[in-house]
Amino acid sequence: MTQQNNPDVRFLMGNEAIGRGIVEAGCTVAAAYPGTPSSEVLESLVRWKKELNHPIYVEWSVNEKVAFEVAYGASLGGVRAAAAMKMVGLNVASDPFLSAAYLGIRGGLVVVVADDPGPHSSQTEQDSRFFAWFAKVPVLDPGTPAEALEMTLRAFELSEKYQVPVLLRPCLRVCHARQNVSLNTPRPAAYVGPFKKDWTRWAAIPKYRLKLHGELNEKLARIEREEPAASPVLLNEGAGNSIALVTSGSVSSHVRDIVASDERLQGIDVYKVDLPFPANRDALQKIVDEHERTLVVEETYPVLELQIKDRRKVTGRLSGDVPSQGELLPELVEEIVLRVCGKEPVLREAPVVKPRRPSLCPGCPHRPAFYTMRQVFDQAVYTGDIGCYTLGINMGAVDTCLCMGASIGMAGGMSRAPFTEGQTRVVATIGDSTFYHAGVPALVNAVHTRARFVLVIMDNNITAMTGGQPTPAQDFLADGSPGVAVDMERLVRGCGVDFLEIADPYDAEGMKQILEKARSYAFDDDKGVAVVITRRPCVRAPKVELPSDRFEIGEACDLCMSCLRDLECPAFHYVKSEKRMEIDADLCAGCGFCVQVCPSQAIKAKGA
Amino acid sequence: MAELILCGRGGQGIVFLTRQIGQVLSAKGLNVVSSETHGMAVRGGSINSHLRIGGFFSPLIRAGHADFLISLDATETDNNKHYLKPGGLIVENSTLAEEPGIKRIDAAGLARELGRVQLENVVLLGYAATLEGFPVTVEQIRGQLSKEPREQVRSLNLRALQAGVDAAA
Ligand code: SF4
Ligand code: SF4
Repeated sequence: MTQQNNPDVRFLMGNEAIGRGIVEAGCTVAAAYPGTPSSEVLESLVRWKKELNHPIYVEWSVNEKVAFEVAYGASLGGVRAAAAMKMVGLNVASDPFLSAAYLGIRGGLVVVVADDPGPHSSQTEQDSRFFAWFAKVPVLDPGTPAEALEMTLRAFELSEKYQVPVLLRPCLRVCHARQNVSLNTPRPAAYVGPFKKDWTRWAAIPKYRLKLHGELNEKLARIEREEPAASPVLLNEGAGNSIALVTSGSVSSHVRDIVASDERLQGIDVYKVDLPFPANRDALQKIVDEHERTLVVEETYPVLELQIKDRRKVTGRLSGDVPSQGELLPELVEEIVLRVCGKEPVLREAPVVKPRRPSLCPGCPHRPAFYTMRQVFDQAVYTGDIGCYTLGINMGAVDTCLCMGASIGMAGGMSRAPFTEGQTRVVATIGDSTFYHAGVPALVNAVHTRARFVLVIMDNNITAMTGGQPTPAQDFLADGSPGVAVDMERLVRGCGVDFLEIADPYDAEGMKQILEKARSYAFDDDKGVAVVITRRPCVRAPKVELPSDRFEIGEACDLCMSCLRDLECPAFHYVKSEKRMEIDADLCAGCGFCVQVCPSQAIKAKGA
Repeated sequence: MAELILCGRGGQGIVFLTRQIGQVLSAKGLNVVSSETHGMAVRGGSINSHLRIGGFFSPLIRAGHADFLISLDATETDNNKHYLKPGGLIVENSTLAEEPGIKRIDAAGLARELGRVQLENVVLLGYAATLEGFPVTVEQIRGQLSKEPREQVRSLNLRALQAGVDAAA
C-alpha cells in the first residue's frame, strides 16, 4: 500500500481534499445527501472520477439514512465505501449508523460528517464527535484541508483494521477552507472478497447483539490503547510544565497560529488529539497530572474534556471558561488562552457589523408563490421547511422551521390544535428535494389521518440551497449518467392525495385561483389535505434561460412600499434623496411578477 | 506573509477571486490558506473570504491583522474594516473619489461597459494586482485566467482584468 509521491499541488477546499482522499484510498462506492457545509465532498468526487477516470460509483441519495445504507451495503459487499452528510444528516442516518457499529463492516467504511459551529447554515451546533461516542464509533478530527486528505486515508485503514465504521468529522472551517494540498497517486480499487453469509452477524437477533456489543467494546479498548492517533501529540514544547493546552480539529489551527504569534505564549505545551474518541484516557490524564493547569479547547462539545477522569486542574467548557455555544473564532481563542495564562488580553473595540440579510434571489419562483399564498391565506400559520424557501420568513410566509420534512408532520398536528381568530388555517411549504427526502412518509400520515391543511410543494427542479444538486425527479445521476426519473405527481397521488393541482408561480392570477380551490377543499369542505405543486425552475439552475425583459417604475408609483415590504425583491430600492423607487437592472431577473401585483400598476417594461 | 480580506454580497464572485489568487500562489509553492462563505448567506447576504499567505494553519484572519481589504460592495466595507491592521489598505468598488487609505475604482461601471456587470470582480482584481505589496502580479493572474478552457469566458475575464489594470494607470 505504498503511495507514490505525486508532485501535483492544488489549492483545494477541505471537502475537495476529502473527496480526493476517498478516491486515493481505492474506495469505489460513495453516497451523500447535500447539506452545508458537506456538499462539496460528493461534488468533488464527481470531478475526481472524471479527471482520473476512476471507477468510483457516486450517488446523491434520497436522504442521509439511505446514503449510509448504500455505503454500508457496499462495504458488506467487500469494497471500500463512503457516505457524506452534514451533522443534522447524521441524525437522520442515526438508526443504521448505530446498528452498524455493532455489526461491523467488511470493506473499509468511512462516514464523513461535517459540523457547523456557529451555526452558520444549520439548525444546531451539535458535535458529531459526541455522536460518535454515543454510537461507539471511532472519530478522526482534521484541522486543515491537507490533514483532511491524509486523515481520510487513515480512516479507511482504521476501519478495516478494526472492522468498524469510522467517522471523519471536519468542521466548517476545514470543509470550506482552502489550502495548497499535495496529491498522491490513488491506490487500486480495494476489495476484500464477496459477501459471506453469516446471519449471526449481519442479521443478528438480540441474543447475538449482546455478543457483538462486547466485541465492539473490545475494539474500542484496543484502539484507545494501541492507536497513536488516540493519544495527544505534542505540537509546541513550552518551557517547564505550568500550562498544557489540549486541542483537536479545526480550532487547533487557530490555537497553533495564536501560540506561534505571541511570544508571551511560548511557554505552553500544546497537544493535539487526532482521534478524540476513543481518546487514550491514561495519556490525557498524564498530561493533566504533569501540569499545573490544563486548558482544553475543542469544538463544540467537551468530548476530550469529559474523557479526563480527574478534572480538578482542567479549564475548559465544563469549568465555564470556554463558552458553551457559538463558534470558537480566533479572537475568542486568543482571549481565552491569554486569560488562562494570566496575560493581558488584546484590547479590541467590538466591530459594529450590520450584515445584510439573505433573501430569495431576484426572479426566484418561491417569491411569487409566497406572495400569492399570503394573499389567499392571509393570517394562516405557515409551517415551513429546510431550503432556500426558509427565506419565506422575510415575507411572513414561514412561521416554523424545525428539520427536514417537518413542515408536513407539524401541519398535521397543528391543524388539530385550537386557533386564535384569523389563524384558522395551516399552510405547509416544502421544496421538491426536501419532499423526496423526508416529506413523503409525513404526507402519507397526514392523508391517512384526515389532517386538514394545504400543502404547497415548491418544485424548482433542483436542490437549490446547497448548490444545485439533482433530485430523484431528474433522469440523470450525480455524475450525469442515466437514472430513472421518479415523477412527483405520481408520488403525491401514491400518498393517497385526491386534490392535486399544478400552478405556475409567475402567473399571479392562475396561481391565486388554484390556491383558492385548495382552500375550499381543505378548509371549507373539510375534505383533507390539498396539495398544490408550484413549478418553475430555480433561476440559478444551469441552462435556465432568464427573460431579457427589464422593467422600470413609472409616474403612477405612490410609494406604497408594497414591492419592498410584501414582495421584497432585492432588485427594488428606495432612492431616499429623490423620494422614488428604482429597479436595479443589474439585479432584476425579468420575472415580471412585480408588474402583475403592483397595486398602482406603476411598473412597466423598459422603454414601453 | 500577507493577509487579505475580500468582501461583498453573495453572488458577486468573491469565492472565484479567492481561488484564483490561491491557485497562483499554490503553484508557486507557497503556503496559502483561505476560508470562504457558502450556504444561506450566499443568497444576497453579506459574505467575505479570508486569504492568508505564509506559515499559517487557521483559515481565519484575526481582527487587526489584514494587509488588504478588497471590497466589491462599498456598503460591506464597514462590516469588515476591523480586520484591517493599522496602515492596511482598502480597495473598493465604488464611484466615489479616493481618500487616504482607500483606493477606489468603478469596477461595476467598467464591467457594464464590457457588457456584463458580473465581471466587476475580475476588474477589481486587475486593479488591485497593480498595487504595491499585493501578493500576486497582473502577469500571474493573467496566466491563471488564461487556463479557463471555455473560450468566451476566458476572453471576457482577460478583458475585464485588463480594464482594471488600465484604470490604475
Ligand atoms: S437559488 Fe434558486 S431557489 Fe434559491 S433563492 Fe435563488 S432562485 Fe430561489
Ligand atoms: S421583474 Fe420585478 S419582481 Fe421580477 S426580478 Fe425584476 S424587479 Fe424583481
